[in-house]
Amino acid sequence: MELRGVVKEFDDGRVKALRGLDLTIMGGEPVAIIGPSGCGKSTLLQIIGALDRPTSGEVLFDAQPLQARRNLAAFRAREIGFIFQSFHLIPTLTAAENVEVPMFEIGLSRKARRARAVDLLESVGLGHRLEHLPAQLSGGERQRVAVARSLANTPRLLLADEPTGNLDSASASRIIELLVEIHRLHATTMVIVTHDPRVATRVGRVVHMLDGSIVSDGPIETENRT
Amino acid sequence: MTIAGMVWRNLFRRRTRTLLTVLGISVGVAAVVALIGFAQGLEKVWQEAYKARGTDLVVTKVTSRSPLPVPFEQRALQEFLDCPSIEASAALLSDMMGVEDSSAVLVFGWEKPSFLWDHLRFLEGRAPESGASREAAIGRIAASSLGKKIGDIIQIEFEEFTVSGIFESPALVENGAIVLPLEQMQAATGREGKVNFLNLRLKDPPTGVAEVKARLEKLHQGFSALDSAEVASRNSGIEIVRAMSWATSLLALFVGMFGVTNTMLMSVFERVKEIGILLAIGWRRARVMGMILLESLLLSLIGGVFGLLIGICIARALETADLLRGRLKADIGPGLFLVAMSLSVALGLLAGVYPAWRASRLQPGDALRSE
Repeated sequence: MELRGVVKEFDDGRVKALRGLDLTIMGGEPVAIIGPSGCGKSTLLQIIGALDRPTSGEVLFDAQPLQARRNLAAFRAREIGFIFQSFHLIPTLTAAENVEVPMFEIGLSRKARRARAVDLLESVGLGHRLEHLPAQLSGGERQRVAVARSLANTPRLLLADEPTGNLDSASASRIIELLVEIHRLHATTMVIVTHDPRVATRVGRVVHMLDGSIVSDGPIETENRT
Repeated sequence: MTIAGMVWRNLFRRRTRTLLTVLGISVGVAAVVALIGFAQGLEKVWQEAYKARGTDLVVTKVTSRSPLPVPFEQRALQEFLDCPSIEASAALLSDMMGVEDSSAVLVFGWEKPSFLWDHLRFLEGRAPESGASREAAIGRIAASSLGKKIGDIIQIEFEEFTVSGIFESPALVENGAIVLPLEQMQAATGREGKVNFLNLRLKDPPTGVAEVKARLEKLHQGFSALDSAEVASRNSGIEIVRAMSWATSLLALFVGMFGVTNTMLMSVFERVKEIGILLAIGWRRARVMGMILLESLLLSLIGGVFGLLIGICIARALETADLLRGRLKADIGPGLFLVAMSLSVALGLLAGVYPAWRASRLQPGDALRSE
């Protein structure tokens, strides 16, 4: 994935969230994006995930500009998995059903959807919580359901926006381990926006942002020295 | 899990709002069932009346669409009646008249003797005699509402008649009416020699109808011969009732439809973030649109089913009310159910179009940022 001179403005240009960003992420690479609140981390993640279009500049996936893709919904469904800070589960659906939701777009049968959802929830340690509604789960469990959902269509790129931001320390550690494990097993490309230094220490590369620009980009050792 | 399952559960998020919306649609559908049921019922009682009398064709003034057409000279059609296809004819004069304290009771004058009298079943007494005796037969419902029994005097406009018999007819409309011999009706209304219907019984109805109609057109311009269904459907009174019923029902349905639109719009606004999630995880806009439309459709379907039940209950309750008891029955059948449900479904889809479009146009990034 490559970003070339990406600018994102809101409010008719009065707010500049991203100021000409250049960033290249290799396939299978885990990247942490850190920086203070309002520095443009989440906006960057939304642009990488094709949820928002840049005001100017270019985003390339597999060397192909995202803007040129006719069906961005299908691209998101097949290539990208999202994990959000506030879980964003559908409150009326059970854990298993929440995991099934993205699978509608890849044409799996009802039975296959269910079987895959059960497998995924078991893999995140929630095999015993399949029929629970989000309101009946703890914060950590909800985020694990969200992780399972993000993997539903076996994406090549996993985007996580503050995945441990709303969790207690123990639950946060579990989610971090889960993400590390996913990367180890599937070599999924990961971009994790985080405030959590523990997340940053577990990934190979840390991008530090400030006021819509990248101020440093490098291996964790470099970041620690900064 | 299926999309329909998701949609079903969405309806239960705000139960009270869903219930009120369903009730809104129900009122519209109930209005269709009850009002159109009664309008059809009215048409049916007139059809029944002609069928019960054994009438194959009714001759009347062509220009008149009134339930009580302009009277014409009975002798005017003599030449036409001299036709081998016509087995029998019976002249009839009818009008709405003041009877005792009731301002409008249907009063018939029937030619005597004629086949018109054959279908009446006398519960008490007998048919009125022609001539100077001034007798009247009254229908079961009219007898009970006017409080009359055999031998009582009944005042029709300014004339007095003796009740000779109380009858029951297979035609509801006749049970609430009074029947006099034709010449007495003509005298009472000052229309000597005049009638407003000629009932014909044909020797061979299937083939005779066209022949007799053509003969009438050729010999007597300004008259038309109609079968029982045509008479009822061309009846301007029935047409007005039908039009009013449709207007009222459609108005109620449209109010219900706007209720659904309002509910669905509120539901979409409340779920902006959730719709944003669905779009973020790859749902196509068409799928989001379909989900909202399905919710709207489901609301209308449930409303439709409740509306059918409520409509039937209202119709049955009104049939037993004093005003209508024994006079009119709502004609409610599968055809009307189908029409009411189709309208409900069509309006439900229409109601969902704008909210569904709004939902599908959300930008996932903006939707996720919304509070």
